[in-house]
Amino acid sequence: MDDRLNVRTMVDAKKGKIKPAIYTDPDIYQLELERVFARSWLFLAHESMIPKAGDFFTTYMGEDPIVVVRQKDGSIEAFLNQCRHRGMRLCHADGGNTKAFTCAYHGWAYGLDGGLTSVPLEEQAYRNKLDKSRWGLTRVPRVSTYKGLVFGNWDNEAPDLETYMGDIAWYLDGFLDRRDGGTEVLGGVHKWVIECNWKFAAEQFCSDQYHAPYTHASAIQVLQASPANKGDGKPLGDGQTPRPVWADALGGVQFGGNGHGSAFFFTEKPDANVWVDGVVSAYFRDTYAEAEARLGKVRALRLAGHNTMFPTLSWLNGTQTLRVWHPRGPNQIEVWAFCICDRDAPVEVKDALIKSHARAFGPAGFLEQDDSENWVEVQKVLQGHMARKTDFCVQMGLGFEERRDDGIPGVTNYTFAETAARGFYQHWADMMSAESWEEINALSAAYQKELVHE
Amino acid sequence: MSEPATVLEPLRPTVQPAVLAPLALHYEVEQFLYLEAALLDEWRFREWLELMSDDISYVLLTNTQAQTRDRRRSKQPPLTYIFNESKFQLERRVARLETGMAWSEEPPSRTRHFVSNLRVLEYDDEHVETSCNYLIHRASKQRDIFTFVGTRHDALRRVEGGAGWQVYSRELALDEFVLQAPNLSILF
Ligand code: FES
Ligand SMILES: [Fe+2]
Repeated sequence: MDDRLNVRTMVDAKKGKIKPAIYTDPDIYQLELERVFARSWLFLAHESMIPKAGDFFTTYMGEDPIVVVRQKDGSIEAFLNQCRHRGMRLCHADGGNTKAFTCAYHGWAYGLDGGLTSVPLEEQAYRNKLDKSRWGLTRVPRVSTYKGLVFGNWDNEAPDLETYMGDIAWYLDGFLDRRDGGTEVLGGVHKWVIECNWKFAAEQFCSDQYHAPYTHASAIQVLQASPANKGDGKPLGDGQTPRPVWADALGGVQFGGNGHGSAFFFTEKPDANVWVDGVVSAYFRDTYAEAEARLGKVRALRLAGHNTMFPTLSWLNGTQTLRVWHPRGPNQIEVWAFCICDRDAPVEVKDALIKSHARAFGPAGFLEQDDSENWVEVQKVLQGHMARKTDFCVQMGLGFEERRDDGIPGVTNYTFAETAARGFYQHWADMMSAESWEEINALSAAYQKELVHE
Repeated sequence: MSEPATVLEPLRPTVQPAVLAPLALHYEVEQFLYLEAALLDEWRFREWLELMSDDISYVLLTNTQAQTRDRRRSKQPPLTYIFNESKFQLERRVARLETGMAWSEEPPSRTRHFVSNLRVLEYDDEHVETSCNYLIHRASKQRDIFTFVGTRHDALRRVEGGAGWQVYSRELALDEFVLQAPNLSILF
C-alpha cells in the first residue's frame, strides 16, 4: 500500500461519503494518469472501424495520444502517437488508410508495425550509426478484443481483459451480442469538451438511474405520450413506448463490481425508451426472438439501461451509444461517442439508428444536453475552498446489497441505488493506493465480500 | 448479410452562378435571413418555426481531419449527424425549451446569430438557394461564452403571406473538430 495522497481518507464507501477534492486536485489527477489510466484496460476502437490492412484510428489512453493500426496479418496493434526523435505527434488524421506514418518534423518514417523504417540523411547525418531497430514506436504492450471492442493496457501485470471485466461482461453482452454477426460502428464519432472531472460522467453512467426523471424532465415531457403532446394521448412516434421504462415500475437491478456498474428496469416487451421510435423500435421487436435465444429473456428485453466499464467506457442499451470520457486535466473531459449497431441489421435500420442516436444523445441530443450541464456546474462550485471540503452523500441503498439467484450476476441492489457508485469510488481508491494488481484484487475481493456479508 | 449504412457526405463546394441575382431579390433574401436570426435571438421560437416549411430538412454533420493522401482521393473518416431534424423535431426542440426544465437553457442563454457572405447561388420565381457564413455567440449561466462558426446552404421557397419565404432545406457545417461547448442546446 502506498496511499501517498491519502485518497483512502477521501472515499468512505462503507459510510457512503466522498470528499470532493478528488474531482479537483491536480496531484490526484497526475496520480490517476499513472495508477488508474496506465494500469486499466481502456477502450481504443471497434474492429469495424479499421477493417483493412493499413487502416488506422487515432485516439487516446488517458492523455496519451494513440494510433490503432490494422496489421497486414489482420491483427491489431496500438502505438503511442509520438515520434521517437523529438516527440512530435506522428499522425494528425482522425483515421484513414496508410502504408507508413511519416513525421512532419524531420521526416522519420514508421511502418504499420511501428518499426522505424527510414530516417532522412541517414548516411550523411547519422554516419549510418543509428540503430533503427531500437527506435520504433512505443507499442501498447497489451491489446485485446472483446466482441468487436478493442482495448489496450500499458500494464503487463494487469489481469487479462476478460478477468478484468468480470461480471460487467454479462451486461456488455446484452449490448454487443444480440445477434449473430456482432456489431459495428455506424458513421463517425461525436467529440466534444465538457468542463468537468471524468469521474462525474463515468460514475453517472455506472450508477445513476436516479437523475433520469429529473435531469431529463424536459425531454420526457415533450416526447412522451400525453394529450398535451398529441390530442389523443397516443405515442408521438411509430412503435414508441408511451413513457420511459422506469414509469412502469416493474422493478429493476443495479450491479456494481470491480469499479464497473450497470442498471436497468425489467420490462415485458422488447422496447427501448420513449425516445426511440419508428424503424429502430420495430427492429428491436423483430429481432427479439434471436436475441432471446442468444441472451435469455432478461438481457434480450433489456433495451434501456446505463453502464460503465471502469474507468471510462460507458454505454446505453437501446439508444446504442457507446462513449469514452477522455480525461483532460482534473477539470475537463473530451467525450467521444460512437453509435453501435448489429452488423446484420438492414440498411434502413442503420440509416434510422444513426439519426435516432444523434437525436437522443450526442452534443445536441434531447437528453444528453442536460447531463453535461450538471457536471459543469458541480465542477464550477468545486472551485470553492469550503465546497471542496464538503462531503458528498453516496448513501442510497447502503446496506441493501445482495446476490441474486435468478442468474443476474454480481453484487446487486435495486436499480435506484448507489451501490455501483460506491463500488466505483472504492475501486478507484484501491487503484490509487495499491502498488500491485495483486493488492488491487485483494482489496476488491475483501470489499465485495463485506458488502454481501459472505 | 451485412449492409453498409449510407455514407454521409460533407457540404459540397458552392459554384458561382453565371448570372448574379437581381439586387432586389438579394436584398429580400438577406432581410428574410436577418429576420429569422432575430427571432431566434429574441426567443420568439414559435414565430421562427413559422419560417420553416413543413417539409424542412435541417442537418448538421460532424467534421473530421483526414490525411493529405486521403483528402486527395476525396476520402475522409466517417461523419455523423449532430442535427437531423424534421419540422416535427424542431417543434419538439422548441417545446423542450418551453418546459422550463430544459436545464442547459435554464435560465435561457442569450444568443446573437450573425449571417454574412451571403450569396444567391440559384433562383427562379419560386425558389432561392443561398450560401452564407454564420457566427453564433452564446452567453449562458453566469459567465459561459461559446461561439459557433461555420457555413451553411439554405434553400428558400416563396410563400403567400407571413415573411414571404420559408426555409425548406438547411445544411450546416460547423468548423470545430472537437466541439468546445458542452452541448448544443440552441438552434442554428
Ligand atoms: S520529431 Fe519526428 S522526425 Fe524529428
Ligand atoms: Fe442522463
